[in-house]
Amino acid sequence: MIPDLYLAPERDKPEVDFKFSRHHLSLKGETYPENAAQFYGPILAALRVYLNDTRGAHITVDMDLIYFNSSSTKILLSLFEMLDQAARDNQVQLNWHYDPEDETVQEFGADLAEDYTALVYNPVAK
Amino acid sequence: MNLDDFDRFRRLVNDSGVIFYYTGYLSHNIIGAIGDALRSKLEAEDIKGPTARRIFSTFIEMMQNILNYAENPAIEGDKAILQMGTVAIGNAGERFFVVCGNSMGEEHVSRLRGKLEHIRTLSLEEIKQEYKRRLREEPEPDSKGAGLGFLTVARDASEPIEFDFHADARNQDIQHFFLKATI
Repeated sequence: MIPDLYLAPERDKPEVDFKFSRHHLSLKGETYPENAAQFYGPILAALRVYLNDTRGAHITVDMDLIYFNSSSTKILLSLFEMLDQAARDNQVQLNWHYDPEDETVQEFGADLAEDYTALVYNPVAK
Repeated sequence: MNLDDFDRFRRLVNDSGVIFYYTGYLSHNIIGAIGDALRSKLEAEDIKGPTARRIFSTFIEMMQNILNYAENPAIEGDKAILQMGTVAIGNAGERFFVVCGNSMGEEHVSRLRGKLEHIRTLSLEEIKQEYKRRLREEPEPDSKGAGLGFLTVARDASEPIEFDFHADARNQDIQHFFLKATI
């Protein structure tokens, strides 16, 4: 089993708390790093290893992002793509936390639900 | 600059509704620090929720765009070579504006103009559709970011984005590019 992954939040980077051992993945905060591909590369790599080895699990994903810039958004989409694939062999629930006043974040979550139909989409108003 | 000029400059900034202004070198760290200052200022002005997020998002996309397309981008690990940029954030009545400026070679103007003119023709719904489509595509070869910066700015704006190019007074090969979003 791949070890859990924890990265403390920084000004331009979210808190990454991937408790693979408990099938609980959480991204929280803001994301606008200088180089999104560089920051998310190792995170997605760890996630890929975990998902490759995981079958029949109930995976919970908590996404609580206040602000994400365009290059982070692009990479987050590959993360959702991976989760959607994994949802064929697992149950993957996406808890999408949003500020009810913020249409953009709410719509982004709704678009994800439309595109990645294998995910159990659960919008959570803050 | 003598003190009278400086006072004229200060008054012009005030009269234009500017609540935040920066001009100078940009790096990722400088953008982060200005971003913190901008947030404190927005909080102090009691600007919250989606409006604050839109202003901040527009600021970040504009600044990262300047860095990504800098003529002399900072060599990785070398923070000594920095790009110049300008940004002003202010209010005009009930709305807010974010304006940025940077200089570029004349050769980039027509491509950039084409991109921005196209975005200006789109309705908000069309901007959202194009954003979604581009998000799921590979970025353009000349794009160093996700190629979504201008669309992100346009999506968060309440009016069509405005832009202009002004030729440098001393060097005809240099153009000063300005972009404005109203939120």
